[in-house]
Amino acid sequence: MSSEPIEHRVSHIGDRLRGSRCELCGKEYFKLKDYCGACGRESFGKMKNIDFFYEEGTLETCTLVDKPTNKFTRLGPYIYGLVSFHDGSVRFPGRLTDKIIANDEDVDFEDLEGRNVVPRFRRRHAVDSSGIVPTITLAFTFADEYYPYHERKIAKPSKEYERPGIVGYGAYTSRFRIKEGAIERSIPFFDEDAITAAVEAGKFGLINSEIDHRLVSKVYVGSESNPYAVKPIASKVAQVLNLGEEEHKEGLQCVDAVDTEFACKAATSMFKDAASLVFYPESKKSYTMVIGTDNSQAAPRGEPGGELDFFVGYGACAFIFGMYDVIAQFEGWISITSDTPDFWRRDLQPYPSHGGRFTGKPAYFKHVTKVVQKLMEKLSLKPQDITYFVAHQPNAAFPTRVAKALGFREEQFEPGLLVKKFGNTYSGCSPIGLAAVLDVAEPDDRILLASYGSGAGADAYSFIATKQLKESQNRQRFTVAHQAENEFLQYVDYGTYRRLKEGLSSI
Amino acid sequence: MTEKGPAVVGVGRTKFGEHYERDPEHLVEEAGLVALRSVDVEREDLDACFFADYFLPITNKIGLEEGFLSELLELNIPMEITRSFSSALSNACNAVQAGKYSLVLVGGMEKMTDRWDKIRDDLMLLEDPWSYYAGGTPESNHELMLRSYMKTHRLHDNERNLLMLTLAELSVRNHENALKNEFAQFQRKISVDMVLGSRRKLRRPLGLYDFAPVSDGASALILSDSDSANSYTQKPVSILGYSLATDYITFPSRRDLTGFLSSRLAMKGALEASSVGLNDISVLQIYDQSTFVGLVTLEDLGFYGKGEAWKSVQENYISSEGCYEINGEKLFINVNGGLKADGNPLGATGGAQVFEVFKQLRREAGERQIKADALKNGCVHELEGFGTKAYVFLLGMD
Repeated sequence: MSSEPIEHRVSHIGDRLRGSRCELCGKEYFKLKDYCGACGRESFGKMKNIDFFYEEGTLETCTLVDKPTNKFTRLGPYIYGLVSFHDGSVRFPGRLTDKIIANDEDVDFEDLEGRNVVPRFRRRHAVDSSGIVPTITLAFTFADEYYPYHERKIAKPSKEYERPGIVGYGAYTSRFRIKEGAIERSIPFFDEDAITAAVEAGKFGLINSEIDHRLVSKVYVGSESNPYAVKPIASKVAQVLNLGEEEHKEGLQCVDAVDTEFACKAATSMFKDAASLVFYPESKKSYTMVIGTDNSQAAPRGEPGGELDFFVGYGACAFIFGMYDVIAQFEGWISITSDTPDFWRRDLQPYPSHGGRFTGKPAYFKHVTKVVQKLMEKLSLKPQDITYFVAHQPNAAFPTRVAKALGFREEQFEPGLLVKKFGNTYSGCSPIGLAAVLDVAEPDDRILLASYGSGAGADAYSFIATKQLKESQNRQRFTVAHQAENEFLQYVDYGTYRRLKEGLSSI
Repeated sequence: MTEKGPAVVGVGRTKFGEHYERDPEHLVEEAGLVALRSVDVEREDLDACFFADYFLPITNKIGLEEGFLSELLELNIPMEITRSFSSALSNACNAVQAGKYSLVLVGGMEKMTDRWDKIRDDLMLLEDPWSYYAGGTPESNHELMLRSYMKTHRLHDNERNLLMLTLAELSVRNHENALKNEFAQFQRKISVDMVLGSRRKLRRPLGLYDFAPVSDGASALILSDSDSANSYTQKPVSILGYSLATDYITFPSRRDLTGFLSSRLAMKGALEASSVGLNDISVLQIYDQSTFVGLVTLEDLGFYGKGEAWKSVQENYISSEGCYEINGEKLFINVNGGLKADGNPLGATGGAQVFEVFKQLRREAGERQIKADALKNGCVHELEGFGTKAYVFLLGMD
């Protein structure tokens, strides 16, 4: 059993590593304090809420936990230690995450101590499958490894656009991979899930856009692998990323947050809604965020539906929409829908089922082809007018076939084809393709995105990159290319992959 | 403190260890009866009872401990529950000192093995919840403090090896001392190689033999006001001074990570409250939850300067006499085997520590009686959590 009030309070502090700073003497504290021990009663009302969510810390000392307490057993063995911030003024206990340590492996603590670490938002520990999913940011990874430190800056908006567009984006895939044949797939670490990936993507979106998080008026999270059947991911994202004005006293965020579901198009479907919202006269100064996130589910191989197990990935992608400092403007959009049950998951079932051979022609191909044709018709576009074409990617074959059939050449669709690197990240899939293209596109390039969601429907969008895309690219350090290929990726075997994918889902 | 503090007139304890077949009632009864019989006191003579346990309502679902005790003792006198034995004793001393009660039963017990599957989680949540949430274990804070100590005091590789060897020797010595303690959980000789073998430098800085075990057991003592102490025994052991101090629950938030501020303050307070000096202590019981905490406690209590104990403890040990020579004085430390070998049933541990000092000062420790011409005073140091609370009692005989 989880205690709701305790979970609420622990995660309220722990998810963002909240602390306090005395404005009289500068002393800093972990956790919220109403007064400063050094300044006493005078300091009431003079304590400033701070957090360490975007800060870089140092691993002061560490040891290895070989025999964790019960709820942490699934995570072990792991490195555990003391992490300090601001030259040792505040110290946190912390677990190093994203590290599989073999039972006979030696760990030289001297090599680890003194290195810089980045706080990571993760599941805290295992819990009964009916309990509240406990989260915390007392998990860390080394800043000189897969996930570099990113400074979070807030810039003043400089240019207003006539039409809404993308003002920033962030893609997140984990450090772990399984490689089988020509396809590599991203796998969550034990303490990751669709919630943690959504927060990571949103965090990178904010870092990339440099917008003021208080101006975000609504966040949408599309997913089909939310660990909860009832309880949004978006509320967690809003709290951890501090979206909208925060009412400190009550611990409320003045932001709207909602989860959406439509198989793999749960996020792309909301792009137009999010864009329309910031175009509304009363809210032109605000921003909206759409995140697609999935720890894509599949039954183990050999079980019904297990065919998907060769393709599923893990990742998320966030887009921020607004009227200021737009990096890619909307040119047009269109959506289509039909009731085609080519892929589904019934309530209380852990894994989805699919329509086998009928997931292709009458489902994916029919919808994607039609939605692209209709948008091109509407905007009077020919394939050669489009610089990049990104389609939903359940595997490598489908998007390649559909792109060729629509008249696109390899140089138009290859840059956005990431399924070979990350697997099918479901709601995050075509959005990550779009992020990859934005990482490399030039001003005035036209990008056509076509998502597909089983059930079934498709959304097509046309974006035109602006001159400000270049500034965004200069700020982006955690690019899709970096995530697709770098020396810190950890490749695991099938057995480990299944264990990682199940993660902390139950005790 | 008045001239003479309250006095311990009788003590009792059970064997520590795994009492699979025994219920809490019988353990408490055994320890209590020994103490009462030793001074020929009847239950009805007691004015109050101060009892210590951390987890009994959780481990054994006994309900409110006071009611449990009332039913067990067939008494309706005032009863108060605290966590550590020292905490119960400290409260009992306050009450006796204030003249509220004159004869008090102080007891403590724990039955940790009845919850062997969950007790580490319970312990860690009690010791440091935020560290627990981050993945900390009851062992990890000891290891982090050890590493902080090595780094803060800039120990080189060979110095670190010497420190680790010294810690191993402390564990071996604890086990050796316990050989003569019929109540000890482990009456088994261990070797330095066994301690070293249970560690793995590049994985586990401290091993199985560096940590106190999980134990069951009970202990009790009878505390009397100083005036009537002699009516119960010819040899009362007076509490000359006692003090306690408190520190942050979150270990990483503490300023000093190389020792316990609470221990330093408690010792300072106890010395100030009495006319006893460090050099007047002959028998010392330290709360060595781990070999390293044992070592650091010798610094915290003032027997060594900060960062000094690791290099001196070993050379100050006189193996022929089983004691340490510190500042020219002989000091007997944990002659009962300490927490490592005697056992650590949380609520009862402090009782066993007082038990040992009581027996030694009265020269009733039998086979393990300290062979020294003059035994001055005794000192008991107990911790709650990972140095969250520290208690020091100075005891002596006229």
